[in-house]
Amino acid sequence: MTTPAGASAAGRTVRVVIVDDHAIFRSGLKADLDPSVVVVGEAGTVEQAIEVIAAARPDVVLLDVHLPGGRGGGGREVITGSAALLGTTRFLALSVSDAAEDVVAVIRAGARGYVTKTISGAEITDAVFRVAGGDAVFSPRLAGFVLDAFGTAPADIADDELDKLSARELEVMRLIARGYSYKEVAKELFISIKTVETHVSAVLRKLQLSSRHELTKWAAERRLL
Amino acid sequence: MTTAPVRPPLVRSSDRLIAGVCSGLAVHLGWPVRMVRIGMVVAAFAGGAGLAFYAWLWIMVPTADENAKRNARRPASPIAPAVSLPPVSLQSGPPPGPVPFSGADPSFSAVPPPSGEYDAGTVSQPPAPAAAPGSTWFRIRSMRYGKEILLGAGLLLVAAILIARLLGVEVPLGTLIPAAAILGGAAIAWMQLDETRRAGLVDKTKADQAGGWARLAAGLALVVAGVLVMVSGSGSWQQTWLALLASVAVLGGVALVLLPWGLKFWRDLETERAGRVRATERAEIAAHLHDSVLQTLALIQRRAGNEHDVVRLARAQERELRGWLFKDPARDAGQLSDRIKAAAAEVEDGLGNAVDVVTVGDTDMTERHEALVQASREAMLNAARHGGGPVSVYLEVSDGGAEVFVKDRGPGFELSAVPQDRLGVRESIIGRMKRHGGNAAINSGPDGTEVRLRLPADVADNGEGKS
Repeated sequence: MTTPAGASAAGRTVRVVIVDDHAIFRSGLKADLDPSVVVVGEAGTVEQAIEVIAAARPDVVLLDVHLPGGRGGGGREVITGSAALLGTTRFLALSVSDAAEDVVAVIRAGARGYVTKTISGAEITDAVFRVAGGDAVFSPRLAGFVLDAFGTAPADIADDELDKLSARELEVMRLIARGYSYKEVAKELFISIKTVETHVSAVLRKLQLSSRHELTKWAAERRLL
Repeated sequence: MTTAPVRPPLVRSSDRLIAGVCSGLAVHLGWPVRMVRIGMVVAAFAGGAGLAFYAWLWIMVPTADENAKRNARRPASPIAPAVSLPPVSLQSGPPPGPVPFSGADPSFSAVPPPSGEYDAGTVSQPPAPAAAPGSTWFRIRSMRYGKEILLGAGLLLVAAILIARLLGVEVPLGTLIPAAAILGGAAIAWMQLDETRRAGLVDKTKADQAGGWARLAAGLALVVAGVLVMVSGSGSWQQTWLALLASVAVLGGVALVLLPWGLKFWRDLETERAGRVRATERAEIAAHLHDSVLQTLALIQRRAGNEHDVVRLARAQERELRGWLFKDPARDAGQLSDRIKAAAAEVEDGLGNAVDVVTVGDTDMTERHEALVQASREAMLNAARHGGGPVSVYLEVSDGGAEVFVKDRGPGFELSAVPQDRLGVRESIIGRMKRHGGNAAINSGPDGTEVRLRLPADVADNGEGKS
């Protein structure tokens, strides 16, 4: 995650909308982002966000998990409200919250990743490009949540494919939880970065689609972590 | 009562001929099943007493499944209030002792007063406000038996009256029965009121609501019937029906008139209560913010020139606030993940590097886990000191054991290049883990260093494991 995903070097730009109710944070983030990330809109509430996203049609939405307005659903509500754009616009959740409930809720609503607000501008830029390219972005903490929710035992063949992680996916998640970047994960497991990305995307899909009883139960139980 | 024999609970067992009463009874009393069954049959020929007894047990005794369910739910009402409310101070403050009747109103002694069940519970509590676990246990015990004893006393009373009548003693049944019905009904209804009020104070679980309504209705019916019989002087049915109709009509009218006030009053009460809860919450949050965040902000302003200090203060405050906001009250404190986080916080405070901790799973602390925490702390200190940047810590606890990974992005080092007299890595990390049946590996390269500590679950017993 330390090196920008290469896309910015190729001269590509990504159009983003920043959704956060703190104006100070929005301007700070804007200043921190790489010039290749073009901010095309900002919003501070759920309604504004849905409106701005529909009008600007950005590549990526940087979305705070906690937002005022709407029916109190915060970032999750923005994603469901912009469901029509989910194919072209991708959401990256950005939060100070450590609460598993918040994080898992936005991921399950359709966000492609989750990062904490304390990470550096370069890291956010990298994450934005990654999400724009269709990949998933997992912070160590999100990987920890995933491992906690799916359990650390690899899938049996008999299990529903969506309910467990494969041995390889577990390995990737563990390394990310340990603080490895995708590149380091690839090096450690002797696989290509592309393969790492594939695994992470698969995990994201499972996280979003699994109806695993434990997952929902876990999210409800561990609303505080 | 203090020497209550420890018996298996009386439940109808699944090993049954008819309803499992006899085998359940046999298990409870510790007698052979065959004897109980024969005794029951013999008793059945004694004027049908055995049949009646069997039927009664069939109705009253739960099956094992039901019993388990009931016991699981029991803490919802009787224990919770006793534990979380301060002991209800009773006027006389009688000495501690299992005297279930002493707390009951004398006027109730003729009828089994179910409300006495609760009185008995609180009375039998020692006057000292701190209820020791033992006394709580005892109170539950005495409450359970109190119910049965009251029921038995009531039945004995009925039997005594019947015998007295058989012997030719004139018993004014005409007034005694309605009076008993009224008292019993009132007691049932009041007990219900008491229980809902307590439950409402403690938590708003509605587990027992249906039973509560049934009880209320039963109590009401008893009282109404008693009053009717008493007023009409056990006269003709026609009169009774008329009286019933009239009283219901009057009650209905009064209810209709008072309903809006009642509702409004109830709603006001609810709003007020909600408001009070909110105000308390807000006061608590304000107090906390004042003690922590505002102080830290003041400190930060005074040290604005020193970036290192500002970052450290902010991290420490963030950690503290997070701990306060996201703490799970249901989780036990002092488990392994808490200790690892505490060690990380210590390192962060001491050296100023951010130490991010991710934990998966958790376990209780043991002596060996203590060693793991110490080794992890040492590894974090090294990572912060020599790595220079942020440190990632990952703890995973599974059935196989506990693993801790401490990673930094410093320049790395060669273990063999560390001078022999430096004990940090060799002793405090590797040696310590080995002594406790675990192992430590250090993987260092130009991109950073990762220390892997592993503590298998069950090696404690093979000799030198425990130090």
